[in-house]
Amino acid sequence: MTSEQPEGAQQPTASLDTTIWAEVDRALSGITVTPEAGVLDLIVTIPRDEVVRGLRALKTDAALHFDYLRCLTAVDQEADGIDVVYHLYSTTSKHNLTVKTNLPNDDLFVDTATTVWRAANWLERETAEMFGVRFRGHPDPRTLLMPEDMDDTFPLRKDHPLAEIEILQGEGMGYTEEDSE
Amino acid sequence: MASEMLPDEEYEVQDLLLNVGPQHPSTHGVFRMVMTVDGELVKDVVPYIGYLHRGAEKLCETMDYRQGIGFMDRTEYLAGHNAELSYVMAVEKLAGLEVPERAQWIRMILCELNRLSSHFMFMGAFGIDVGVFGTPFIYAWREREAIIDLFEEISGDRMMYAYFRPGGLAWDVPTNFVQRVKEVLVSSKTGIKDFDGLLTDNEIFRARTQGIGYISAEDAIDYGMSGPSLRGSGVPMDVRKDEPYLYYDQIKFEVPVGKNGDVFDRYICRLEEMRQSVSIIEQCLEHLQPGPIMPERMPRMLRTPPGEVYVRTEAPRGEYGVYLVSKGGNRPYRLKVRSACLSNLQPLKQMSVGQYVADAIIVLGSIDIVLSEVDR
Repeated sequence: MTSEQPEGAQQPTASLDTTIWAEVDRALSGITVTPEAGVLDLIVTIPRDEVVRGLRALKTDAALHFDYLRCLTAVDQEADGIDVVYHLYSTTSKHNLTVKTNLPNDDLFVDTATTVWRAANWLERETAEMFGVRFRGHPDPRTLLMPEDMDDTFPLRKDHPLAEIEILQGEGMGYTEEDSE
Repeated sequence: MASEMLPDEEYEVQDLLLNVGPQHPSTHGVFRMVMTVDGELVKDVVPYIGYLHRGAEKLCETMDYRQGIGFMDRTEYLAGHNAELSYVMAVEKLAGLEVPERAQWIRMILCELNRLSSHFMFMGAFGIDVGVFGTPFIYAWREREAIIDLFEEISGDRMMYAYFRPGGLAWDVPTNFVQRVKEVLVSSKTGIKDFDGLLTDNEIFRARTQGIGYISAEDAIDYGMSGPSLRGSGVPMDVRKDEPYLYYDQIKFEVPVGKNGDVFDRYICRLEEMRQSVSIIEQCLEHLQPGPIMPERMPRMLRTPPGEVYVRTEAPRGEYGVYLVSKGGNRPYRLKVRSACLSNLQPLKQMSVGQYVADAIIVLGSIDIVLSEVDR
């Protein structure tokens, strides 16, 4: 097994036993995987070079059969780059799985998952325009919700200004910086 | 078709680009699609969305957990209770809050009532799409009005309820709640019967809807469809059944599925679902006992430990998911709303190509989109 245990993982490894980690580990043999027991579902982190290969393995695995892409989105981790998050579901085995991959800030791209599920098409378009993540090999890389010419600013990134509303909120609710800590 | 009747060398045949929307009654909101038509036949459909994008996800990141509730109503305005439910459940899971029993039962009743009102809205609007102008719409609004009046008595608002709270409910329901729900159920049952009689066995309605807008079970799953639009293709996927939340595991109900994956099956799934919702509410009323509606010890400012959770619930249009990432503190670090309609809308091209233009409108209607949820 090539999977490695993360150093200083938040959850104790024992709690992984109650999840489907053993099966996922078997399906993803040969791929670097970092598991973590989430609040509801198992979370696995895969390096971006291998993530689409891993997703396809999870879909084609006979026992797990993750044939349904619930959600695809990204989380801006500021200095730590951007996480792309896939929420998978199996209509046959009723399992849930969260797959994450981290992209460094200076090189935001990942292979497209549209080759695995067609559901990824619009979700990737939305993630691309909101976070500036490039999905390599996407069949239709147009904007989805944003205007066509709005390709230089990414609204859901943490550095995108929403200052006026935050000031308004802070004054209206009597918040200080300590409150938001 | 013109190309078959006339020799090509004498007459040049050209496809026509037909723009529908964004302001058009049959697009159910601000939705635009550009159809390539060959005579009356649709050859290609390119949907354009985003006209209603307000950045609800970004706004929620700037507000504390209780302020975010109102934005959930505004994403899914025809089923506000269901939308709020996913959000407050996500916060509860992260914060580790235990919700009192009475609050859970009331939530269930309100969510199912909201499903009824939302499906009534679909019946009325769909009737107009098909061409039964007037009657079903007025029937639908009569029954929906009764439900919305009840919601107004409870929450003070007809559509933007903001009634659920992380931990429970904003306040208890009025004392005549059970009596009022029973009254509403009587009128809803009448409404369901009316629609059954008016549309289901109507020969013209069947001719317009059967065999139109087909999508196979495999394709529907691959496109991430959910709700009645997916179950119409024969996939018995329902979050209430597969991963029971609230007290759905204590209630007897069935998940209606279609066989043919066409417009008619999506309609009949919704109609059958309404009967199931009535039955669920009746069972919930038997379980409803007096008690607290909020946990005893609630902090004045709700904070969550760092973590992330993806909570999904079965809203009238399908799976309404909330992905909540917290880095500690009193507001979400990232909030993503998984819109059922966005995923249901993706296969529109596949379902419409090869149909007549008038049928493409019915296909769009059968998905029952709320553009406010698609764009967020």
